[in-house]
Amino acid sequence: MTNALEITGLVKKYKDFEAVAGLDFNVTPGEIFALVGPNGVGKSTTLKMIATILTPTAGSAAVFGLDTIRDAHAVREIISYLPEEAGAYKNLTGREYLDFMAMVFLKDGPRARAAAAEGERLSGLGARLGDKIKTYSKGMARKLLLARAVMIRPRLAILDEPTSGLDIVNAYEIRKTIKALAAGGMTFLISSHNMGEIEFLSGRIGVINKGRMLACDTPAALKARFATEDLEEVFIKLTQ
Amino acid sequence: MNIFFVLLKKELKELLTAQLVITIAVTLLVFHVIGKAVGSHNKSSAARNGIVVLDLDRSDLSARLIKAIAGTRTRPSAAPQREIAAAMAAPEYAAENSFMVIPAGLQAAVRAGRTSNIEYYSRFRRQASGLGPAIAASQIRRTQQAAARETAAYLMQLRLPGLDPDFLRDPAPPREFAVINGLTAEVSLSQVIGFIQSQSYFFPIAVFFIVILSAQMIMTAVASEKENKTLETLLSSPLDRRLLVMSKLAAATLIAAALSGAYLLGMRSFMAGVTGLGADPAVAVAAAAPALAALGVALGGPGYLLIGLSVMFCILCALSIAFILGILSEDVKSIQTMMTPLMMPLMLAYLLPIFIDMSTAHFGLKLLLYAIPFTHAFMAPQNVMMGNIAQVWWGILYQAAVFAVCVTISTRLFSGDALLTLRLRLPWMK
Repeated sequence: MTNALEITGLVKKYKDFEAVAGLDFNVTPGEIFALVGPNGVGKSTTLKMIATILTPTAGSAAVFGLDTIRDAHAVREIISYLPEEAGAYKNLTGREYLDFMAMVFLKDGPRARAAAAEGERLSGLGARLGDKIKTYSKGMARKLLLARAVMIRPRLAILDEPTSGLDIVNAYEIRKTIKALAAGGMTFLISSHNMGEIEFLSGRIGVINKGRMLACDTPAALKARFATEDLEEVFIKLTQ
Repeated sequence: MNIFFVLLKKELKELLTAQLVITIAVTLLVFHVIGKAVGSHNKSSAARNGIVVLDLDRSDLSARLIKAIAGTRTRPSAAPQREIAAAMAAPEYAAENSFMVIPAGLQAAVRAGRTSNIEYYSRFRRQASGLGPAIAASQIRRTQQAAARETAAYLMQLRLPGLDPDFLRDPAPPREFAVINGLTAEVSLSQVIGFIQSQSYFFPIAVFFIVILSAQMIMTAVASEKENKTLETLLSSPLDRRLLVMSKLAAATLIAAALSGAYLLGMRSFMAGVTGLGADPAVAVAAAAPALAALGVALGGPGYLLIGLSVMFCILCALSIAFILGILSEDVKSIQTMMTPLMMPLMLAYLLPIFIDMSTAHFGLKLLLYAIPFTHAFMAPQNVMMGNIAQVWWGILYQAAVFAVCVTISTRLFSGDALLTLRLRLPWMK
């Protein structure tokens, strides 16, 4: 079976700085795979290369067998990307934003309308969808953005720090949504700092530092390897 | 709905905020109110600016002089005082600024062939501002001319009875002809120039407004999308990136055109109020209209269309350059500084042709100005009126080429890493 994601020797350089220094990993369909690592180690750059908005300096990334450079347009048809701390169009209402994004990703038609309706349901914002986004709290905006990212039913959803800056309740609701969608067959590639979140969500995790993969396995296997019950301890031992 | 219109609708909603609409409405209102207030003040100022006449001669000639002055829309008031200082100090003339002293013995001196001086005093007040002093100066000049003409007529009737003083004053009046592109018409050069200037009076201001407003809008649109990371979402979608570029350009053009139309209305309302001549500047040269039409300088439908085309490409050039600058902007805060590379050529294109005769300008300067795509739009009305149609078309072609190059660069930047990784830091940016 074709992997949902295959990363081979992925490199990204900015002049002399190597943000990603030869990553290799793969993600199977329906899996929630998490990239974990300190700030500035290349997680977001990796996600952007997979989302086709940055070009790798070397190596390759394939989404369901489609190359992110050669088949960029086809890749964009089956993925959805949620950037870290992304905003939305402040002068649109939540509903207008979902309608707009549904049309951008699926063009006009019944599929777009169905996706927008699904987005409304997933966001859980109810009547507030009629209000302008500039009136939303950070949690509400993030729920709207997550709903936008998954409402189009992408085969691979790429979420950069999906619960960053959210309170416990909002973060919990978002994690539940991701888990439920993965159970329905959607593949997720996420990055996060939150070890509790990672352990709750992910089938496997990839720990990266300075653009390199230090370890890639299930949380249980990693904890066993480092003889600890704490995933944070694994992370610290790997990155120090 | 076509995806382009979906994008356009989103852009319009983002750009056309309630604050912007309120700002424009308030600006229009302020222009209108100030225009009305200034116009009304100047009218009352002009009405008040009569001239106080101290007639120390009390002769036929002095009576004729006062009558002649009244014929120049100036209101003469006969003062009983015999000294200018006393008249100026009199409470009843405290508001008057212009005084005229007809000396005793004026008529006798003129009859005897001796020079005698009529004196004019203008009281210049502290904190004088507005158009009042200019109106007073013009009134004094008119009064002096009327008095001189009447004195000369009096003398001519005395010495050369039976001859028309007007004929004696100018027995061979001039006839002035203007020649443009081989066409000749009886009209003065000043009327032709006045007409050309009146036709293009508001034009450069409107173009300047459109360019600045639309450039700022599109730079803000691009920079805020980058800052909010909404652009990253759009770039990861299957949308054709050229559509993203074109929808932003179209939205900024539409709003800029509407806004500058509003500004233009405000300016016209303001000027109409200030001058009291009505909004149409062509009124001033209406008398010469047939001659101007015979010269081919009057603008017709095709002329206006050609100018409109040139302005449209000027705006598109500015937008596409601003788009690139927006891509290179670090954030929304840096927009004002990033406008500099656009403002400099725009100012040159706007100001230099006003002060420099392009037909005799140095080749290097001409090259510089014509290399700026905005120059062609600023000069389009004059070129159309003077029949330089080919030059307007070449200008439009050049603008179209610049626009195509800039859009290609924008689309390339939108399709590559540069959009997310490139930042332009100008030397004066902190």
